[in-house]
Amino acid sequence: MNRRRSKIIAASLILGLAMVFLVVAGVQNTSMRHFTPDQLIIHAQEVDNKGIQVDGLISEGTTRWDAEKFELVFAVRDRAGTVNVNVLYAKKLRPDNFKDGGNIFVQGKYNAAENLIVASKLQTKCASKYEAAESATVQTSGLSKSDY
Amino acid sequence: MAELGQAAIWLSVFSCLWAIAMLGMGLRGKNYNAILSGRNGVIGTFALISLATGALIYSFITNDFSMRYVAEVSSYDQPLLYKITALWGRMSGSLLFWLWLVTLFGALVVWTNRRASDHLSDYALIPISIVSLFFIILVTGLIEGVYNPLARFPNGGVVPDGAGMNPLLQTPSMAFHPPSLYVGFVGLTVPFAFGIGALLAGRIGSDWLFRSRRWMMFSWLALTIGVALGGNWAYRELGWGGYWAWDPVENASFMPWLLGTAYLHSVMIQEKRNMLKLWNIILITLAFEFTLLGTFITRSGIISSVHAFAQSDIGHYFLTFIFLSLVGVIWLIYHRWNDLKSPNHLDSLLSRESSFLLNNWMLVGLTLIILWGTLWPIITEGVTGAKAAVPESFFNQVVVIPGLLLLVLTGVGPIISWKKLTPSNFKRMFAKPIVLGVIAGVLTWGYLAWKGHTMPIYSVLCVFSSVFVLAAIFDEFYRGSKLRAKRQGTSFFGGLTRLIQRNKRRYGGYIVHIGIVLVYIGIMGSKGYSLLESKSLRLGETMEVGNYQLTLQDAFLEKHANYSLGGVLFAVKKNGKSIGTMRPARGFYHKAGQGDQDTIESAIRHQGLNDLYIALGPLPENVPAYVQSGEAVPVQVYHNPLVNLVWVGVAIMVIGGGVAFLEKRQEK
Repeated sequence: MNRRRSKIIAASLILGLAMVFLVVAGVQNTSMRHFTPDQLIIHAQEVDNKGIQVDGLISEGTTRWDAEKFELVFAVRDRAGTVNVNVLYAKKLRPDNFKDGGNIFVQGKYNAAENLIVASKLQTKCASKYEAAESATVQTSGLSKSDY
Repeated sequence: MAELGQAAIWLSVFSCLWAIAMLGMGLRGKNYNAILSGRNGVIGTFALISLATGALIYSFITNDFSMRYVAEVSSYDQPLLYKITALWGRMSGSLLFWLWLVTLFGALVVWTNRRASDHLSDYALIPISIVSLFFIILVTGLIEGVYNPLARFPNGGVVPDGAGMNPLLQTPSMAFHPPSLYVGFVGLTVPFAFGIGALLAGRIGSDWLFRSRRWMMFSWLALTIGVALGGNWAYRELGWGGYWAWDPVENASFMPWLLGTAYLHSVMIQEKRNMLKLWNIILITLAFEFTLLGTFITRSGIISSVHAFAQSDIGHYFLTFIFLSLVGVIWLIYHRWNDLKSPNHLDSLLSRESSFLLNNWMLVGLTLIILWGTLWPIITEGVTGAKAAVPESFFNQVVVIPGLLLLVLTGVGPIISWKKLTPSNFKRMFAKPIVLGVIAGVLTWGYLAWKGHTMPIYSVLCVFSSVFVLAAIFDEFYRGSKLRAKRQGTSFFGGLTRLIQRNKRRYGGYIVHIGIVLVYIGIMGSKGYSLLESKSLRLGETMEVGNYQLTLQDAFLEKHANYSLGGVLFAVKKNGKSIGTMRPARGFYHKAGQGDQDTIESAIRHQGLNDLYIALGPLPENVPAYVQSGEAVPVQVYHNPLVNLVWVGVAIMVIGGGVAFLEKRQEK
């Protein structure tokens, strides 16, 4: 009875440890810093040539789409609009709801010298129309995948 | 109407409180009249919330744009279906819809148990009513950041036309994905409530499992459909050729599904062996709490990525409710500690009980891994101050091994003997499936190596496990059917029908397992071997993806009720042989409120189980003029092998779940 118990506990422990190992290894391999554009500029050297994620807004008037090269170039800014980070997104389609001033999530490799993210993933969310028009208490709901 | 609805919400606060008080007092004092009155309170709450929900739907249909919620998610030209589904288009309405479901299920619990002589269901109505009360408070509009969906604009304001629902949501799968998930989430409340009811009543046998079994199966089915519809929607609408990206919203829906699946298995151990009583209570509690946690994750803005929704105070309320309900459950468990001890123990590490336990470990482990990845930004920010996140690849890496182990268990579970695996059981049940699995694995290795894929180890393991599971399950069906046919003197298929009819839960479960295997193979093919080509094409030009050649032949512009569709026509050939045409496009929406918006309208062609998938990049609305003038069209083409097995597999899972749901018998 006791032997059986300890066997079961040992098996459970091994399993648990294996899972923990998987997670730790996974995090070490993939975890990337997450910034707003203004913070990114401050920490630029730390993440030079590393994978990062940035949440910001699409800087107005910076979007260039080159259909021939299949390249999208734009800048992502912070809310105050003080800082721009350049983004290059090549060989992929820009997501729906991609609009000047709209929210954008960028994932990719950062080049500090050029202040450029070579993006591997972009995601947008659309702002509600009433966000600016109505009072500040009006709820603004974003939407990307499933709005529930 | 809106005022009537608001009044109904306020009245429901009292009817809900009444129900809780009467049930509590009645059950304590064994006062049958008080219990009846409590039940009436539950039904009354349902009636009031139905009235409020009906009032909101009425406002949508009659375009009452003096109401803020209606103005935000609907518009004059929105098709009727989407006017109604706008009910759950945003948070306030979603909460009302969630609340309506809780009260509906409460009323159904009253109705289906009206003749039950014990009062287990009356105990269960108490937690259901507490959950209802929580949601009622959320929709009253008292909480900052969440307004009452029935509220009008202040000072009699009216907007001429509503902003309308986001065009991306105006598709049938998006119309049914959220309610299906909600039904699943809310459905989990019922077995949870029965578990709590059992603790309250001090009757922790298998009664509560029997009474809530069909609810659990029903919720699991709804969750399965909901999660799959979400993936299907992303696949067809978002234009990136995939169906699952591990974003927090998806994870929030997947985690309760995993826990629910674990629970469906562990209850069988309690029923058969009277073990795992405490574990089952913990598991159903976790499943319930994770439905709330998911809402907290997605609604609080705590994971401030684009995936998360509005930042509002609502997260705090959810977190507080989760905390309080957990404290309550722990307190109850502490009080019933002696009743929760199981008289039986595991006899062997190699037994059906152990395989079920391992399945539970894996499912709960996966849930925790996904939770860890989802909350990683909060953890890192809280601990180090430097926020970090894990991308999709983290989840893809980490879930593979536990996922494959789970796949093997879907075959082991059904054929391994109870108590202890004997050598004869092993030889009789395992030999054939293992041999077949190995043969399939080797063939896969050869095929993939021939195709130039080096070290396709996971694919080989996946095929081995899949064939092992299918062989094991088909063997179960075969043996059972033959035996029945012989006994009843009917044909093999007569025997098969009898077999399933006589044990719907067991064989329904096996059908679900077959579906799971297909989903695995679909994921393996589409995630592991998809091709992607991006190119800008002019009229008459051709591009190649795998064996396919696509020639841009023509352009079109179609006007629809509330949008126009501009796209191009491709002539598609496979190995030089014409197989038809495809029409990828972009949808152009001009809604006064939202400004102009255009969306990717992919073209998907099923080639057997594989998909050819075309999406177009940004284009001006008048695509024909643009193309005729010699401009290039940005085209992205995916070839997704075996992806349709994912949908076929889910359909089979749903059929199997449906069969299992039909089981009424209570085995003791």
